[in-house]
Amino acid sequence: FGLNMAALLRSARVLRFSPSPLLYVPGAAKYGPPRSGLYCGAVGARAIRVSARVLAWPCASLRQYGVAPQQQGVSKDEASIGLRTKQAQQFDWALAKLDSSVRRTGRVTKTLLLRIFHDICRTGYPSGNQALLLLRSCGSLLPEMPLAERTELAHRIWDKLQELGASYDASHYNALLKVYLQNEHKFSPTDFLAKMEEASVPANRVTYQRLIAAYCQEGDIEGASKILGFMKSKDLPITEAVFNSLVSGHAHAGDMGSAEGILSVMKGAGIEPGPDTYLALLSAYAEKGDIAKIKLTLETVDNTDTSLMDRDLMQVVFSLAKAGYEQHVPEVVERMRHERGYVPDAMNLCLSLITQGREDTALTVLKTFPSLQVESENGEVPDLGNFFLRHCVNMEKPAEKLIKYSRELKDAKLHSGPLQFTLYCAVEANKTRLAMELMTDMKAEGLPIRPHFFWPLLTHHQRDKNIPGILEVLRGMQQLEVMPDVETYSNYVVPAFPNMDAARAALQVKRGLIVAALIYINMSFCSLTVSSPTFPATDLSVFRGSLISGFKRLISKSVWSFSLFPAENVAYFLYNLIDSMTEGEVQAKEEKLRQYFAQLKSLNVFIPVTIYRGIRNILDAYHVPELIKDVITLVDSKESISTAEGRFVVLETRLAELRAEGKPVSAVLKQLIQALCAEEKLERALEIKAQFEQDMVVGAYAVLINLCSRHDNADEAMNLKRELARKDSHVALDATKYLALVRVLSKHGRLEEAIDMLKEMKEKDVVLNDSVVTQLFHVLNAAAMKGDVATVQRLQDTTFALGLVKPTANLCSPLISAHLESGNYSGALEAAMECHQQYNQLPRIHDIICGLVEKGEMETLQKAMDFISQERGEMTMLYDLFFAFMQTRRYKEARKIIETPGLRARPGRLQWFAEKCIANNQMEALENMVDVTEKLFECDRDEMYHYLLRLCQESNDWRKAEAVWTKMQEENVIPREKTLRLLANILKSSGQVVPFDVPEAWYEEDKPKSAEFLLKEKSLVPNETPTDYQLRLVTLCKRGKGKEAFNLLKDADKKGVVLGPAPYDGVIRSLLAAGSLEDAMAVREIAISHIPGFKLSDMASSLLIITQVKRNEVKDAMAHLKTMLQLDQVPSQLAITRLVQGLGSHGDVHGIEEVEGLVKALGTSLNLSRMVFLNNTVLAHIKNGDVDRAVESLETLYTQGGDTAHTSSVAFVFRKVIEENNDAALDKLSAMAERLANHFALYRPATDLFMQYLEAGRVEEAKFMLQRCAAIAEQREILLSYMTKAAQEPGQVNKIKTMKELVPDFVDKETLYSYLMKCYGLDKDLASAKALHDQVQQEGMQPDELFLKRLAVLYRDAGEAAPFQEPPESFKFYAEKLREKTKAQTASADD
Amino acid sequence: MAASSKKVFEVFVSKIPWTVASKEMKEYFGQFGQIKKCLLPFDKETGFHRGFCWIGYSTDEGLQNALQKDPHIIEGSRIQVQRNRKAFLGRKATKEEDDS
Repeated sequence: FGLNMAALLRSARVLRFSPSPLLYVPGAAKYGPPRSGLYCGAVGARAIRVSARVLAWPCASLRQYGVAPQQQGVSKDEASIGLRTKQAQQFDWALAKLDSSVRRTGRVTKTLLLRIFHDICRTGYPSGNQALLLLRSCGSLLPEMPLAERTELAHRIWDKLQELGASYDASHYNALLKVYLQNEHKFSPTDFLAKMEEASVPANRVTYQRLIAAYCQEGDIEGASKILGFMKSKDLPITEAVFNSLVSGHAHAGDMGSAEGILSVMKGAGIEPGPDTYLALLSAYAEKGDIAKIKLTLETVDNTDTSLMDRDLMQVVFSLAKAGYEQHVPEVVERMRHERGYVPDAMNLCLSLITQGREDTALTVLKTFPSLQVESENGEVPDLGNFFLRHCVNMEKPAEKLIKYSRELKDAKLHSGPLQFTLYCAVEANKTRLAMELMTDMKAEGLPIRPHFFWPLLTHHQRDKNIPGILEVLRGMQQLEVMPDVETYSNYVVPAFPNMDAARAALQVKRGLIVAALIYINMSFCSLTVSSPTFPATDLSVFRGSLISGFKRLISKSVWSFSLFPAENVAYFLYNLIDSMTEGEVQAKEEKLRQYFAQLKSLNVFIPVTIYRGIRNILDAYHVPELIKDVITLVDSKESISTAEGRFVVLETRLAELRAEGKPVSAVLKQLIQALCAEEKLERALEIKAQFEQDMVVGAYAVLINLCSRHDNADEAMNLKRELARKDSHVALDATKYLALVRVLSKHGRLEEAIDMLKEMKEKDVVLNDSVVTQLFHVLNAAAMKGDVATVQRLQDTTFALGLVKPTANLCSPLISAHLESGNYSGALEAAMECHQQYNQLPRIHDIICGLVEKGEMETLQKAMDFISQERGEMTMLYDLFFAFMQTRRYKEARKIIETPGLRARPGRLQWFAEKCIANNQMEALENMVDVTEKLFECDRDEMYHYLLRLCQESNDWRKAEAVWTKMQEENVIPREKTLRLLANILKSSGQVVPFDVPEAWYEEDKPKSAEFLLKEKSLVPNETPTDYQLRLVTLCKRGKGKEAFNLLKDADKKGVVLGPAPYDGVIRSLLAAGSLEDAMAVREIAISHIPGFKLSDMASSLLIITQVKRNEVKDAMAHLKTMLQLDQVPSQLAITRLVQGLGSHGDVHGIEEVEGLVKALGTSLNLSRMVFLNNTVLAHIKNGDVDRAVESLETLYTQGGDTAHTSSVAFVFRKVIEENNDAALDKLSAMAERLANHFALYRPATDLFMQYLEAGRVEEAKFMLQRCAAIAEQREILLSYMTKAAQEPGQVNKIKTMKELVPDFVDKETLYSYLMKCYGLDKDLASAKALHDQVQQEGMQPDELFLKRLAVLYRDAGEAAPFQEPPESFKFYAEKLREKTKAQTASADD
Repeated sequence: MAASSKKVFEVFVSKIPWTVASKEMKEYFGQFGQIKKCLLPFDKETGFHRGFCWIGYSTDEGLQNALQKDPHIIEGSRIQVQRNRKAFLGRKATKEEDDS
């Protein structure tokens, strides 16, 4: 079989993977893995290959959700935001940034890395994986940075984060080692180990491997052997990586013979030399310039099972160039196959070459780039090599070289304007000399030189107030005979001087020009057109998904860890439990639930009938009615039986009475039959029916028919059905009852009658909604389980042919199941293909392929592959085959498939298989999948390991979990926080020590008790080290217990314990967050007394400013802001806002101006709205009694502010004035708003005022405003956003109602109602919600699912049963759905 | 917003190479008709323009002439020219509320 399979594999692979050029490769055995991202600049680190995919993972979804276009709330109080939330968000953000960079380019820029580093520092408490992320980025991901600088940066990050309280574990040390290797950093491995020991971090397998590599990099075989011996003594496995290092090690020691010999040693040890082994060997030859051996080795590799990728060859190129054998480079370059990801890899190779002084080789490589864009129709030249030129400029390559390169690129038609681009880079990077040389050359070529070419140079000097620099540029202009124009002077020259006279004196230019410049400057001030680039707000991503699944886990666990609930709560808990489980979960855990119910029963737990009904409904909906009988035993028997029995008796008596009186009995008869059916009393119901046959109404028949069907009584059901038809041939049952009939009929082999039922459904236009469709599936599946192909086929074809439902994969699957059930795989395939032809569905294809592989039905399998490939594409086919091999444990074959060139990760499909493995406890299959996908293009490694850990958790296998962690380090995967938490939980629950710092979940608010308990325990330990204190302080601060932390700190101080700056800062922040200014300052004093240079962190300083403003100590706050800025710290947006507000309420116009100036000097990173300053200046004027000035500045803004001004909100001003009851000011402002509206058609202020009246409850004034300025009613967008915002907090419903009264048509009813429902939900106002629901129904509207979901939750919370079925999905789901719909609508409206 | 009825004949130009400034833009677009307005914003922080520009013609004819030509090549680079759509006013209208 093995042979056959191999043949199939080949045919599958060589198959028409046609669009990809990857197959035009000689040699059929080349199935190397495609790589993403970068060339591992593992410059010289021969045996070490870095995978860029480490960072390249698809990010957790960053979407925020809510209803429709909700507005994002403006910043909340910083103190109230959990720090951990921030940390998690930040990691996600940083990760997303780095990830997208690596994904696009295979590298990270220094600027980006530093920015993220700075940001992480600024918030304090860096987490373990943030540290890992930063450290990991300091190696070959930075090809643009010289090696020594990279290591230096790594050390800086290491020290700084440690100082800030990050704790390091083995993964960090291993990452640092990797960085050393990639940067060829010389260090002493023994010292490194000693350092780890000192920090009590145990080294692991990966550590030793890397230390061996470090020794080998230096050619120190003795050192390597020492560690090797140590590993052996510890019984650690010696992996391929170790041998690869040894190859390089011997080569570096000058012993090529031994290096070559390692390969046979490996074979002797049962390890096949892999691509990395050959690469180590090739690099060794390259360093010796031995091109003959290189060629020979490449041929050898061609004859083995392994293959080398382009990026491997790139490393050989690098080694050649670096050792000075550039002449051999073309011979290697021409062997490249231009695989997927070639260009980014090659770019990084070029960058590394340039960085390390081999730019000529870089150009050779650049010229071999496949041109990406085909020349466009008008023969435009694509600009290739921008990155090359830019990096040459940054690396200060001489102008002659750049000019030469530019010529070459231009002549080779690779770039349309290389000189201009090089100049662009030069002026951007402030390289005045280079720029001058380039322009001189351009001028000689006859290219134009223009004044604005010099502006970027001037901006640099202007920023630094560097007057000699400015003068130098101006002289340069003169040399090149370019006259500076007015703009040059006014925008870029004059502002650098302290005043006009100084400028004039220095510049010695004509008075006229300066005057012109002055006028120009004044104009630009007047017009107030200060452009403020808007920054995208940082994504507030929260780990919603993991939150939900976290709860799920909690719940499903608590089922089995039996509860200690007080009995009366069990019932409700039970309902919620089952409600929170998915259909699949309930089905999967049916037996466990049954046991659970039995357990409850044995504990004499009873549940009320109402709850029972609720549970019954859920179980019905989940298609596990079998469990109902288990629940019913829990119902308080007295209650149920007695009431039910009592009811029967009452109804029967009543029936007899009515009949005796000769009155109509139909209604009561129906009630009685329904009651009997509800209690499953079929016999009695039939008796009653026989007695009152002539009085039976449709409803009574319907329930009876249904009950007969359920009780498997086909004859009686059909009798009743016929009887009903005789009475009224037009009447139709509802869909569920028809399907119940179909089920029972087909079960009893009465297929034709079943078909007739389906036809009747069609004739009578019975509608099938979603839940009925599921029922239909179960009808079909029941037949399939008996292997009754004919029945399934008939039923399926009929339903589809009649158009009762749309064909779906799910509905088609029973047919396949029927074939599979009877072991007929080719039949199953035929049926699936038929389904595809007819309905475009390919049901259960995985199971079919697995069966075929298992059975070895080669021909059929080939047929299946051909078919899928043709219909669904090659990629899908390969994945199908891959999963089938995985499922049937043919891992070798699976690996071959996944290594097909051009294959890339499909996260959805990988997830599907992983979930399957987890659900079925298939550790082996899952492990293998994680293993073979290591080099799969764009595979999210963290996610893969997370699957593995989940299964470890399920199977309670902490050893495996620990091995997974080591494996992650070996692969350089940076775990996301959720992965680390999961790992920690597994270890903890098995009583193991967690060897790393666990990022705390911000949502685990239910756990502080245990933490406090731990703290208490700890405090009993008598000898307290600073670390102990630090840990406890940090924990207390994280829990928001500033006071306790303060006391503890004082205690530490008394005992003479000195701490690092981080814990002091933490306590200060914690105290400030609680408003305890004095205590915070006391801590600062303590800190200063121990640490002379102690200063508050950015965040603490910002909090201090906020606190000071809150206490009205605005002057102190202002002074502190200045200190901060002097220390180069960045205040938070909120701190500035609060300060400006404080200044405003003090009437300090000057102060506001000053702050605005300071902030502007800081750069634009604060994302502050200009309106903060403007509004508060206005308020300051008002405070000073100068309302006219206030009105004037607002009017200026609106009338002259340019495009954006009339959207600026002044609501804040109105709000403050209204709050302060300053009617005089309000009158004038109101007059201004009207004037702007009526004279200038600027409605924003009037609308703002209108809404502030509403907000303040001054409805009469709002109404009046509206009368005078009717256009307010047309500002729908603003009004709408007002509503959206109001609906975010409880108690706001009246505002919306008032708005609706005043502006009846500001919003369509549907939207209005859904927001009202949202408000009622927030207010927990079931009565109003019910009324609204009635109104909606009366108005004939169809409430959306979100509306119903909200209502249903209200019902549920009130303990009432909703009169409709609660939409089963989450809020999020419906909100998203609704948003998609709105989006689609607006999109189509836009067309 | 109240609709302004005053007719403008504007094109929006993008992908402008950095070597070109207002003067060159006016020269180039002047060939299609008389230019009333040419706005090529520069970023005073960096000294580079932002790569896009508005050209206003005094007549519809100028506008049409400019729109008809394709491709537009300036100093060897292809630039994009399109009719200036009604501004995106109001899109960010709700952003600056509160807390100002």
